[in-house]
Amino acid sequence: MAKAPKLDNQPQIVTANDLLSGDVVYLTKTAAWTRKIAEASIVENAQAGAALLAVAEAQAKMNIVVAPYLIPVDASASPPRPIQYREIIRADGPTTEIRKPAA
Amino acid sequence: MYQYDEIDQTMVDERVAQFRDQVARRLTGEISEDEFKPLRLQNGLYLQLHAYMLRIAIPYGTLSSHQLRGLAQIGCKYDRGWGHFTTRQNLQYNWIKLEDTADALADLAKIQMHAIQTSGNCIRNTTTDQFAGAAHDEIEDPRVWCEIIRQWSTFHPEFSFLPRKFKIAVTGSPNDRAAVRVHDIGLRMHKNAAGEVGFEVIVGGGLGRTPFIGKTIRDFLPKQDLLSYLEAILRVYNQFGRRDNIYKARIKILVHELGIDTVREKVEAEWQATKDGALKLPQEAIDQIAAQFAPPPYEKLQGGINADYANAFRTDFEFGLWARRNTFKHKQPGYSIVTISLKKEGEAPGDAKAEQMNAVADIADRYSFGEIRVTHEQNLVLPHVRQADLPAVFKALKAYDLATPNVGLASDIIACPGLDYCALANARSIPVAQQIALRFKNWERAHDVGELKIKISGCINACGHHHVGHIGILGVDKAGEEFYQLTLGGSADDQAAIGDLIGPSLNATDTVDAIDTLVETYLRIRKDSDERFLDTYRRVGLAPFKEAVYVAA
Repeated sequence: MAKAPKLDNQPQIVTANDLLSGDVVYLTKTAAWTRKIAEASIVENAQAGAALLAVAEAQAKMNIVVAPYLIPVDASASPPRPIQYREIIRADGPTTEIRKPAA
Repeated sequence: MYQYDEIDQTMVDERVAQFRDQVARRLTGEISEDEFKPLRLQNGLYLQLHAYMLRIAIPYGTLSSHQLRGLAQIGCKYDRGWGHFTTRQNLQYNWIKLEDTADALADLAKIQMHAIQTSGNCIRNTTTDQFAGAAHDEIEDPRVWCEIIRQWSTFHPEFSFLPRKFKIAVTGSPNDRAAVRVHDIGLRMHKNAAGEVGFEVIVGGGLGRTPFIGKTIRDFLPKQDLLSYLEAILRVYNQFGRRDNIYKARIKILVHELGIDTVREKVEAEWQATKDGALKLPQEAIDQIAAQFAPPPYEKLQGGINADYANAFRTDFEFGLWARRNTFKHKQPGYSIVTISLKKEGEAPGDAKAEQMNAVADIADRYSFGEIRVTHEQNLVLPHVRQADLPAVFKALKAYDLATPNVGLASDIIACPGLDYCALANARSIPVAQQIALRFKNWERAHDVGELKIKISGCINACGHHHVGHIGILGVDKAGEEFYQLTLGGSADDQAAIGDLIGPSLNATDTVDAIDTLVETYLRIRKDSDERFLDTYRRVGLAPFKEAVYVAA
């Protein structure tokens, strides 16, 4: 697995996997979890990122999600676009046409 | 085929009940993810990029048509109507939900299957030659010994927490189709000077971060001593194998660091103390298991080329192409072994839709005594087909896109799931494999190139066996971009070799172009069309290939 990038003061969101389904999920502004990256809560610096992650980790302890972590995003894109290709694949699904989920 | 007895069935059923309870306790929060993770892994359940993945053990790659239909049904019921056959002769479902897993395992238990020991630091599913029990060049059916190993290693209390995972492969043929020299233990059946059949025991092979070709620890092991000798090796490994560094914990590192002679001394000392104990296999027990692998009721047919087959070969070009690449000589006169390619150009290697699995099960029932095999090269096999039935089998397979005539050719690529699915991967494998395969869609070119084993892994763990590809491709992360390193000259057969790195890594597009360049270079410098890519490489070395790729780049 590729090394996680340094986040510092760049736009970032929290992602995890849903405990029951394993689906990729993102933390929203209301501390809920969504499968739509467009609804993710974006924070702009490391301090706010740490606070957002703390909320997510509390939810992981409540058995809602597994292993939350921060990822950098391009917030100027709509919806926000992950920077790392690993996270782009997580957001969009497999790139092999044949195994893409049904719409 | 081996059928579960009451003990097998009870063990598997009880394991399902135990896992159902573990999931329930996880969902109520009684156990944390940290506590649950090793439990789910012991039942083959991984959390991958997009979903949970369930890995099913297919013991020594042998399936009945009933089991294959069951796998198709489970794929439809709990997944997305797919299954993915792996290099461990296993099957993976990529879209499983945690809440459904116990039900999926219960359905598996009904067809005498499970996911036990498909993960964790234990002895994994023993693999073998996909042509076992059918191949003309076989000394004995190795599945008998795989089954004996399965019974010994399942839930073995002493070997449930080894330093790392442990993989055993067995070949009953001098022509190794099971890659035994790149396993933790490889067993090669052969005859000694007295004409007795036993095992050459090879230890310390493996791929991954630090690839090694296994070394012979014992030239000839009598059959009745198999389990005691395996146990002696495992005990030495369990005692001396490193637990301080996950990357140095496999037995190959122990063999490398201590040397094969020291390891042999320790194993022999351990074995002398136990060899005549409870693990000495009574002939009666061996016979009992061997009886479950009795040959099917073949028709008595004449040897030589069947007239119907010969006629179809002459008159149907497509059939001839397929028969040439996808059939193999059977030991029984009048029969053939058929390899079903799961590598249609442009498709994901090893994937099978549920409807394809059902079709293969039906074809197996009609033409191959209801038996199917899974190959470590991610294809399927119908092991016992009458030569006269080959045209009908071809037609039936073709209706389901299962008659691609490319076995052993450039488009018959081994590919790990890579970054499209795997949480460990650095780069994607499947799309690169798909693009390469499309370059060889032209049958004339592909058949002219001949045997060429291309293997691609999305990370250093080498699930795609890239080290032993004639051309190996390794995905790496280079400053946040996907790049690929190429190796040449690897081989997993009886002359196993680790490939040589050709030069700096390339991006995905350049990698696909580089494969073309390597093949064109081979075509230009090969002695004649009988000299395979690997033979040419062994004759001329890296230089002309390296020059061609990097000058072109």
